[in-house]
Amino acid sequence: MDLIDRLLRHRKNHRLILGGLALLLCVFTALFYLVQRSRELPAALVTNRVLLFVLWYVNVVLILVVTFVLLRNLFKLLLERRHRVLGSTFKFKLVATYVGLSLIPVLVLFILATGLLQGSIERWFNTPAAPVLERGNAVAQALYDQIERTNVADASRVLRELRAFDLREAQERPRLARRLQDLLAEMELDLLAVYEGTDFVHAVVNPQSGLADLPEPGRTFLTQAMDEGRAFTAYEPSSVPGRLMIAAVAGTLGEVGGEEPPVVVVAGTLLDPVLAEQRERLVQEFQAYRQLVVQKDDLRASHLLLFLMMTLVILLASSWVGLYLARQVTVPIQALAEGTRLISGGDLSHRVEVEADDELGVLVDSFNRMTQELQTNKELLERGNRDLVASNQRLAEERARIAAVLENVAAGVISLDARGRIFTCNNAALHMLRQREDEVIGKTPEEAWGDPERARLAALLREDDGRISREVHMLLGGDWKTFEAKVTALRDLSGVVQGRVLVLEDLTELIKAQQLAAWNEAARRIAHEIKNPLTPIRLSAERLLRKHQQRDPGLGQAIENGVDVIVREVLNLQEMVDEFSRYARMPRPRPTQIDLPRLVHETVNLYRNLKPGVAVDSEVDGGLPPVRLDGEQIRRALINLLDNAVEATEAPGRVTVSAQPVNGHLEIQVADTGRGIPPEWREKLFLPYFSTKGRGTGLGLAIVHRIVTDHHGSIRVEDNVPKGTVFTVELPLE
Amino acid sequence: MKAILALLGFLLLASEARADAKISEFKVDVDGNRALASLVLRDAFDHRLSERIDSGLLTSILYHFELHRDRKRWWDRRLRKATLEVTALHDAVSREYTVHYKLDGKLVESRTVRDRRSLEEAMTRIEQLPVFSLDGLPRSWRVLVKAQAELGSRTILSLIPVAITTDWKESRKFRIPPPS
Repeated sequence: MDLIDRLLRHRKNHRLILGGLALLLCVFTALFYLVQRSRELPAALVTNRVLLFVLWYVNVVLILVVTFVLLRNLFKLLLERRHRVLGSTFKFKLVATYVGLSLIPVLVLFILATGLLQGSIERWFNTPAAPVLERGNAVAQALYDQIERTNVADASRVLRELRAFDLREAQERPRLARRLQDLLAEMELDLLAVYEGTDFVHAVVNPQSGLADLPEPGRTFLTQAMDEGRAFTAYEPSSVPGRLMIAAVAGTLGEVGGEEPPVVVVAGTLLDPVLAEQRERLVQEFQAYRQLVVQKDDLRASHLLLFLMMTLVILLASSWVGLYLARQVTVPIQALAEGTRLISGGDLSHRVEVEADDELGVLVDSFNRMTQELQTNKELLERGNRDLVASNQRLAEERARIAAVLENVAAGVISLDARGRIFTCNNAALHMLRQREDEVIGKTPEEAWGDPERARLAALLREDDGRISREVHMLLGGDWKTFEAKVTALRDLSGVVQGRVLVLEDLTELIKAQQLAAWNEAARRIAHEIKNPLTPIRLSAERLLRKHQQRDPGLGQAIENGVDVIVREVLNLQEMVDEFSRYARMPRPRPTQIDLPRLVHETVNLYRNLKPGVAVDSEVDGGLPPVRLDGEQIRRALINLLDNAVEATEAPGRVTVSAQPVNGHLEIQVADTGRGIPPEWREKLFLPYFSTKGRGTGLGLAIVHRIVTDHHGSIRVEDNVPKGTVFTVELPLE
Repeated sequence: MKAILALLGFLLLASEARADAKISEFKVDVDGNRALASLVLRDAFDHRLSERIDSGLLTSILYHFELHRDRKRWWDRRLRKATLEVTALHDAVSREYTVHYKLDGKLVESRTVRDRRSLEEAMTRIEQLPVFSLDGLPRSWRVLVKAQAELGSRTILSLIPVAITTDWKESRKFRIPPPS
C-alpha cells in the first residue's frame, strides 16, 4: 500500500512536470510561429497599436512575475540565512547557481538577439532600392503633374477661346463644336467638355481614344472647380482601359460679378493603360516602402517586445525550473538536517516526510529506517536499563543481605578483587586474624599479612588453583590457632579469574574438643586394654589361691602356668604403656636439612619383598630441592603409612611412595591398591587408638598426624583410582 | 531597491507622452439641448504625423470630450464622455486625402481634399460639433467640457509604446439652459 501511494505521488509529480513542459513547448511554438509569420503579416497588423500595448503589458506582467519570483525566493533565502536555518547556505548556493546558470545565458542571448534585430532592421531601410523607389515615385508624380499642368493650361486656353462665343445662343453651337474639335485636335486631348455651372453645354471626344461614352466628371468635381477655380482628378473609365486624367478650370465669360454661372472647361487626357498601371504600381510600392519606414519604430518595438516576451517566458520557466530543481535537492537535505538536529536533541520519533524518488529518496528512507532502529534500540536500552537498575537494586539488597549474613556467620570470609587486593573482610575474619579493618581492606595479602604466621594465608592465596582447602596453623597473640582455609577462585564465563574468596574456619576449639574426645576414647581404650590382661592375671591369681587353699598337688604346675600368664599379660601391659609413653612423650620436631629422596628410598627398601606379590616402589623427583625437616619423625611417619599400606594390599598389588614439590609445598603420597577405607571411617582415622585391624595400639596414624601437624603440614586420605587408598602429606618447603 | 521601484513605476506609468500640439480656441456653445464644441489643434502636424499620412497609413487624431459637473469632489464630476475620431487616408495614386469623422464610432462626415493645407485644416479644426446631449441633466447644474487630443503613439527606448496626448483643455463653465 505504501509503495502504491509513492508511485501515485510520483506519477502526479511527473504529470505536473510533463504538463508544464508541454505548455512551455506550446508557448514557444506559438511565439516562434508568430515571429516567423511576422514577416508575412501586414505591417499595419504587426505594428498595430493595440497589439503593441498588449505585448508591452504582457511583458510588464512577466517582468513583475519574474521579479516577484526571484525577489521572493531571494528574500526567503536571506531570511533563512539570517536566522541560520540549517542547510540555508547550501540552499542559497544551489539556488544561486541554478538561477545564475539560467539567467546569464538567457540575458546574453537576449542582448545579442536584440542587437542583431536592431541591426537587421536598420539594414532593411538602408538598402540601395530606397533611392530608386523614391526617384521612381518622383518621376511618376511628375508625369501626373505635367499632365495636370498641360490639361489646366489647355482648359484655360479653351476658356479664353469661349469668350468669343455666346453659349446661350443656339446658333453658336455648331461653331462652338467645330472650334472645340479643332482645339481637341490641336492640343492632342482626348476629352474636352464645357459646362455652365454644373449644367452640361458641349463636349468633344477624340475618336482615337476609344472612349465609348462621354465621361462624366461628377457634380462634386465641378463644384470644387467652381469653388476653387480649378480641379483635377483621375479615374479609370469603364469603357476603355487606361486612366483618364481630367482637369477643370472655372471662369466667367461675361463681366465679373455678373449673374451668369461660371463656365467650367474640362480637359481630359487618357493615359496609356500600361503606363498608368506601371505608374500606379510604382507609386504604391513607394507608398508601401514609406509605410514601412514610418512604422520602423513600431516594427522594431513589436519584434523587441516579442523577443522580450520570449526571453521573459524562458527566464520565468528557467528560474522556476531552477528553483524547482534546487528545491528538489535542498528540501530533502534541509529536512534531513532538521531531522538530524531533532534526533540529536533526543526526539527519535521524528521522521523526515519528504517526497523524493531519486537517491535523495533512498537517503531519506535510509535515514528514517536508521531513526526507527535508533528508536527501537533506545527503547530496548531503556527497558534494559530499567531492568538493570532493578537488578542492581536487587543485587544491592542481596549484597546487603549477604553482607549481613557474612557479618553474622562464624566463618571468616575474605574476598579479593581481580587485582588481588582485599575487597571485603568480615568481622569474624578480623577477629580470627586479630586485625583491624583498615589493616587489610584495599591491601594485597602480602601487605596485610606480612608477618610469618599470617603469611601462610598469603602463600595459600598465591597458589594458582581453582579450589584449595587446607588446614593452617598460626601462632596469633601467643595462642596456636588452627584454621581450615578454603580458597575459591571466582571466574567469569570465559574462565578468567575475577577474584578470590578465602573462607577461614576456626578449628582450634573443635580440635580441642576432638582431642578431648580422643583422650576420652583413649582412656576408655586404655582402660579396656588394661582390663583385658588384668582378667587373666586376676583369674590366675585366684586359681593359684584356690589351689593353695585346697592344697592341690598340681599347685606347682598351676603356679608355673599362672605365673606365665601373669608375666605375659604384664609384659603386654608394659608394652602398651611404653607405646603410650612414646606417643605422649613425642618431642617437638627438630628440622634439619635432609636428603628426602634418600630417606624415602631407604624407607621403601625396608618393605621391598616383604610381602609376596606386593610391589613397593618409590617415585621421587630427582630435582627435589633440599628440605628442612625432622628426618627421624618423617621416617617414622612413612613407616607407619607403609605398614598400613602393605598390610592392606593383597597380592598382586602395588604400593608407591612419591614426593614432589607442588605449589610451593612438598607433597608426599603413599598410594596402595588395597581394599580401601570406607568414608565413614575417615573422620576417625587419625584419632589415637582407632584401628580397623582389631589388633595393635591404634596409635600409628595418630602419630603420623601428630608429626605432620608438628611440621605445620596437613594430611588427607582419598580413594586411589581405580582401587586402593592414597595418603597425601603436604609439608611447607620452607 | 529604490531603483527597482522607480523602474517599475516608470514601466507602469509611462503609457502617455506629452505632445507638442495643444488645443486652442476651445469653446462650447449650447444649442437647445446640445453642446456644440469647437476647437483648433495647433502644431499637430509634425514630421512624424505628416510622414505617416503621406505614406498612406490610416492615421487618426482622437479628440476626447468629457462633460463634467462643476464641483470640488473629483470622483463624481464626470457626467458623459465622447470621442471624435478624425481619420485620414492618403491615396498616392489619385493624390487625394480622404478624411472621415466618427463620433463615438459612428461616421458623421467624410471629406476629400487634395492638398496638405486643406488636410491639416480638416483634421485640426472642429467647428460646432454636437458632442453631448444635455437631456436629463438638472438645469441648476453648472457644467463644463474638457477636451484632449490623442495623436497616435510612439515608442520610448525603441521598446515602450506610449500614446501621444495633449493636455486636457477646459471650456468655460456654463449652466444648462431651461427647455425651450
